[in-house]
Amino acid sequence: MANYGMAFDYKLCINCHACEVACKEENGIDLGAKNHRLWIQEEGETRGDFWNLERSEVRLIQRQCQECQDAPCIKACPNDAIYTDENGIVRLYKEKCDLSLVCMNACPYDARYIDEKNKITDKCIFCADTRLARGEVTTACQITCPAKLRYFGDLDDPQSEISQVLKQRKHFTLKPEAKTKPKLFYLD
Amino acid sequence: MKKIETSRRKFLQGTVSLCIYATASMATPLTTTKTSASIKFKTTPYVCNMCRNKCAGFARVEDGVVTKLDPNPYFPKSRNMLCPKGNAGIQALYDTDRLKYPLIRIGERGDGRYKRVTWDEAYTYIKEKLVTILEEQKDNRSTIAYCNGEGFNKDEYIQFFGGKLGSANFLDEGSICLNTKLGATQLTIGDIGEMDVAGSDYLIISGANRYESLITPDSIDMLQSQQKLVVLDPRCTMTAMKADTYLPLNPGTDLAFCLSMIYIAITEELYDKAYVKNYFEDFEKLKEHILSEHYTAKWAEGKTHIPAEKIEAVTRAFFAAKNPLYYLGRRSVWSQNDFQFRRAMVLINALAGSINRKGGIIFGNPIKLPKEEITEPYYNNTQDRFDLEGIVYGSRKGGSWLNFREKVVTQTAPYPVQAMFIRKHNLMQNMPNITKTKKMLEMMELVVVLDTMPSDTAMMADVILPECTYLEREDMVVSFNRLEPSLALRNKVIDPLYESKSMQDILKGLGEKLSKPLFKVSLKYDEELQESLQELGEKRAFSEGGYDFTELYKEDISSRNKKLILSTFDEKVYLSLKEKGVWYPYMKERKERQNYLYDYYPEEKKYYTVSRDYKVKCYLKKLALSGFDAMPTWREGDDFKVPKDSFRMITGRYITSTQTATTNNSMLRDIQESNSVWINDKVAKERGIKQGDKVIITSGIARVIIEAYPTNKIAPEVVWFAHGFGSNSMELSHAFGKGASDNMIIEDSFEKIYGCATMHETNVTIRRV
Repeated sequence: MANYGMAFDYKLCINCHACEVACKEENGIDLGAKNHRLWIQEEGETRGDFWNLERSEVRLIQRQCQECQDAPCIKACPNDAIYTDENGIVRLYKEKCDLSLVCMNACPYDARYIDEKNKITDKCIFCADTRLARGEVTTACQITCPAKLRYFGDLDDPQSEISQVLKQRKHFTLKPEAKTKPKLFYLD
Repeated sequence: MKKIETSRRKFLQGTVSLCIYATASMATPLTTTKTSASIKFKTTPYVCNMCRNKCAGFARVEDGVVTKLDPNPYFPKSRNMLCPKGNAGIQALYDTDRLKYPLIRIGERGDGRYKRVTWDEAYTYIKEKLVTILEEQKDNRSTIAYCNGEGFNKDEYIQFFGGKLGSANFLDEGSICLNTKLGATQLTIGDIGEMDVAGSDYLIISGANRYESLITPDSIDMLQSQQKLVVLDPRCTMTAMKADTYLPLNPGTDLAFCLSMIYIAITEELYDKAYVKNYFEDFEKLKEHILSEHYTAKWAEGKTHIPAEKIEAVTRAFFAAKNPLYYLGRRSVWSQNDFQFRRAMVLINALAGSINRKGGIIFGNPIKLPKEEITEPYYNNTQDRFDLEGIVYGSRKGGSWLNFREKVVTQTAPYPVQAMFIRKHNLMQNMPNITKTKKMLEMMELVVVLDTMPSDTAMMADVILPECTYLEREDMVVSFNRLEPSLALRNKVIDPLYESKSMQDILKGLGEKLSKPLFKVSLKYDEELQESLQELGEKRAFSEGGYDFTELYKEDISSRNKKLILSTFDEKVYLSLKEKGVWYPYMKERKERQNYLYDYYPEEKKYYTVSRDYKVKCYLKKLALSGFDAMPTWREGDDFKVPKDSFRMITGRYITSTQTATTNNSMLRDIQESNSVWINDKVAKERGIKQGDKVIITSGIARVIIEAYPTNKIAPEVVWFAHGFGSNSMELSHAFGKGASDNMIIEDSFEKIYGCATMHETNVTIRRV
């Protein structure tokens, strides 16, 4: 029993793709650019001419399921296939998924993709059925990251590193206007 | 670029070719294997080989299949991380295109037609060829050249072909990589040193792209430290994007920036006076030289395009910092002035006192490992290497590739080179002017390639010997680093797949086949050996003379490792290397700093400063005597100039590739499918070139076709595309036909201090297809 969340020291990201590869290897995600549980989104652009570049507008944002506490995908699924597990992770009853894709369309974060192999809509579940199931306490993306910019842990445990870092540092969530109450936080 | 005709592809299908195993292996799908929830599967510590870094990891093996690679938290060097390439090692292991069996060529060189043979047949073929060649060359062993790219086992490979077989012609990646930097450091402060990036509070980087070409621990330490970062680059790389100060500049003009820094440091007396007094030799000469040349900031602005006030501000901030470091780079050699440029950087560090102290170039205290000794025979008819002729210093070890190739191709070498053994070195892609490399290989009577992949070079081989990947073998223990020294051991994760073998096993088999017949050749031509035979008899002359090539391979690698480690260290060290993959003296004191990042050594145990007698040499007399500048000097030829409507071609790489070694990796291809050419957005617009347009890039030697990537992140007179693409081997199913190869069009020239290929001196034109 835990209430897992993740915080990103996002400014440290160099878009090296280690997290994406580690995730694919760990969780058996098919190759192919369309298949991914997580990705890095480059926002903004460098402006100006070469000799006077303005670099400050560019942000690299770690994207994946935001583990909403008020998840639109759960509400949208016509088959009640999506639920929140005992660790606060949004999960899927695979056998109930009929690929109606309603959840994909409902997600404000574009977090889901079609897993052709298993015929489901798949997304990040914090390595719940691989690493966490083995009793490990890190996710594949977190531990491989050269910058160690991902903090993962129990938000309900005030002593956890993620709770501490969220207490100490300013942070924001993506698309607060969607009122989904994400459990992924971006550290300023 | 060579065009691929469909007719030949069809032709290939009907022949005995590499295709036989390409189809046989299609059973393995192009997917990843999900790890299980079970804890019963074991993990094995290993050392990565996807690039030169050698990070440590743990491999998870489930039912004989490697399902996951994870970072090893015990290794100080790699700081508990694995990069995308390290993670994608699984796809290197299970690449269906891998070389699986020994092969002998049945077609023309380069057309990919081979027959599968047994290991014994392959060895026998090599033996017969070598005996014929050495008979013809009257036992001049140097007619057999051999080369090996970066990596473990290189010294052992040299022991075999240099020590035992007796050739003087060894070549490695140094002359197409960083020999100028190593040489400049060695000659200036008496050691190649190590840069303490973590300890530096003000870091200047010229051109080295540490966030897209990761070096451990440097890149990781940059991410974690609070230091100020200044980046100079003619292209706005990821490293430049992350810098506190980015100074865009003309390619090849970093030396002008450095000279100006020295000028400002001297005129404003910013340098560390006590340090200079104690350690510098010929400082007055340097001072006089720099001042008389008037290397002012204004002067440097004219060369570099960096505003004078920025040069001054950076210089003042650098010398005001407590632990400033001018990063010496690692990257390929760029221009004729490369050695002087690297030396100027060393001198800047020295002027700041940043030598043998925290945050500077440190000497440190690497852990010493004993060497396994063997007897090396002496061959009286063997001639010396010839590739260092006309080069001032050069590396006696790895030589100069371009000078070597030139002399072979133009038949101006003192003797013909007729055979070549190539290991982990993709000659057909790794050095400028591929056409010339092809010509060189075509001149050989025998080309043998030891590799894991059917690279462009393998396709030029007469005999292909399939080596296993790093996850399928144990290697000898290696000592790493100087500031936080440690030992790491590459343990075997799974047994070699197919019929591949470790290098040691290949050399053992080859040695068993070659020793006696080649000894007989020597007997025929070597009078001293004939005398020794009279005296000792054949058996003793052979064994005592060291002619048994398998001397090192009487025991397997595990036994050798154990013996070597226990000869110097205790059982605990050995166990740590087997169980954790790593050992260093303060392992128990390792502390977590935050979020799985560790402090490996207690601060007071790090070897920032060691007792050492050394001098900083401002003036290198040998250079003056050879007609070169004894101190860093700007020469007119160093000015950045391109003809009208031309561009300077510069090269680099993506974070997902290690030269061409990873070019066929399906996972990495997924991220970076191909390369495209960066061209300044305004220039592209004027020429009507849009993103994705196919363009033809033409240099003085060849042309390539590649997609355009207009961007404001590159200077108007410069184009860039990444190395590692444009492979010509049809057996690389993921790489073949994707992107363009830089070395097709980069013209071959080399600087004369170390004989290194200058990669950034080619001008090209560009037009839409």
